[in-house]
Amino acid sequence: MHDDALIRRLNTLQIALVGLLILAPIAWMVLASFKPSAEVTAYPPKLFFAPTLENYVALFQTTPFAHFTWNSMVITVGSTAIGIVLGVPAAFAVSWTRITWPATVTLLARMAPGTLFLLPWYVMFRELNLIGTYTALIVTHAVITMPIVIWVLLPFFDNIPRSVLESAQVDGCSVPRILWRIALPLVMPGLVVSAILSFVFSWNYFLFALVLSNGDTKTLIAASFNFIGEGASNWGALMAAATLIALPPLVLAFFVQRRLVSGLALGAVKG
Amino acid sequence: MSQSIGTRSQLNMLSTPAVIFTLALIAFPFGYTVWLSLHEFTFGGTSTLNYGRNYALMLEDAEFWNGLKITLVLYVLSLALQLVLGTYVALLLHASKKLSGIVRTLMISPFVLPPVVVGMMWLVVLDPAIGAANWVLQAIGLPRSDWLASPQWVIPTVALIDTWQWTPYVALIVLGGLQSLPPNVYEAAQIDGASRWKTFWRITLPLLMPTLVTAAILRSVDLLRFFDIIYITTQGGPGNASNTLNIYGFRKGFEFFEIGYASALMITLSAIVLGAVAILTQARKRVAW
Repeated sequence: MHDDALIRRLNTLQIALVGLLILAPIAWMVLASFKPSAEVTAYPPKLFFAPTLENYVALFQTTPFAHFTWNSMVITVGSTAIGIVLGVPAAFAVSWTRITWPATVTLLARMAPGTLFLLPWYVMFRELNLIGTYTALIVTHAVITMPIVIWVLLPFFDNIPRSVLESAQVDGCSVPRILWRIALPLVMPGLVVSAILSFVFSWNYFLFALVLSNGDTKTLIAASFNFIGEGASNWGALMAAATLIALPPLVLAFFVQRRLVSGLALGAVKG
Repeated sequence: MSQSIGTRSQLNMLSTPAVIFTLALIAFPFGYTVWLSLHEFTFGGTSTLNYGRNYALMLEDAEFWNGLKITLVLYVLSLALQLVLGTYVALLLHASKKLSGIVRTLMISPFVLPPVVVGMMWLVVLDPAIGAANWVLQAIGLPRSDWLASPQWVIPTVALIDTWQWTPYVALIVLGGLQSLPPNVYEAAQIDGASRWKTFWRITLPLLMPTLVTAAILRSVDLLRFFDIIYITTQGGPGNASNTLNIYGFRKGFEFFEIGYASALMITLSAIVLGAVAILTQARKRVAW
């Protein structure tokens, strides 16, 4: 008995250590963003300091941070909307018919390197004069969001008893109406999860905006990559930018944490 | 009967927009990349079919082999670390019965952070001159390291960053696997008086294998295509020390605009990813119970 209590205490200690290792670099980033700029680069690092907002002020004064945030919002919300509009009916049809190839093909986007798609897209969008436009960025980010919507929603649609759908049909309901009036309300929790995951992944996505945006349409993510080059002189502002960019995904993920692991696995892990 | 045909066509109609989108932005571009990889491509000019020349060049390109080696070393190192540590953390969490809210929130934080943020954060922590990592090393009496700035340490360092970010994800998958194991096998082991250690190796681990292989598949897809953190922190450097195949292909395409050659590199990399997934999927069938 005594042995068990000891083991349990050791166990808690190890969990605390793991938690500390996970937290440390994030905490370091947040702390650095509130340090007076002269102390950000102090060595040995200072753990105690008078917190200040000067890095945040500098960030908004020296960079078009608000504009890039707007770009990210437009592209993230746009691509999430497209992902839902295309993905919801597709997931419903795949679940009903068990014809899975449309869902399977989207997995190609998950498995092939992003650069593989970026090469032909670049050629295509150049032909169409779409490089640097919101359109190109929203559409390519929807390649990330649509598979998420389809794969997150599939098990939710699968859980609806067949008899519910069939009796609606007997009553003369058309298929789109069944989706809209009966199935969609039943999968609302799944829709919320897929929308949040889509938002997070589109917001976080780095590669496409690196090539397909211009100075005016850059996402926050692509712009902050440029801050690294320019901003080596101002690490405080860099950490302030990193902290702000990290907030939306951290806050949103908090609400779907129980669905996060299976949602990320696109059907490979049951949640 | 006529009703079921009507149903089928209505269902097809519902999936048509997604199918068109998938064909236009995923399937057609994929085919186009295959086509590009067989051509000498120039913007605005004529593209000439050069058959397998891009692939032949690739096989003679020392930088391709270097990239392949770096990709595989980073893959094996990171995957091994994440599976071992992920299982360890999952066992800890499983033994503590209830996963507290704080711990769960902490666990999901690293892998929902944008890669750019992870890169910026670790650049600051690992800075050779003023970073906190070297300060900690010094404090416990270890030599300082150049981390990402060192040609021989850059890949292990990237593996560490990725392990920090994705071990919690692997751990949560494995925890799910542990929670779905049949409890009666443990009871039997307990009655037989098996030690904890023996129970783990003889019972838990074999039963956990399908879950571990699934986690390995998911991580393989990301690790073999490794791009974000490296491009953000080192862009393939110092020198070419972290020039993975994906980084190399991207630079060939968008810095040197050798679109045909870059396409050949990307098709090759995709084949490697799909090959790894196929092998691991077979392995999962073999360990299924």
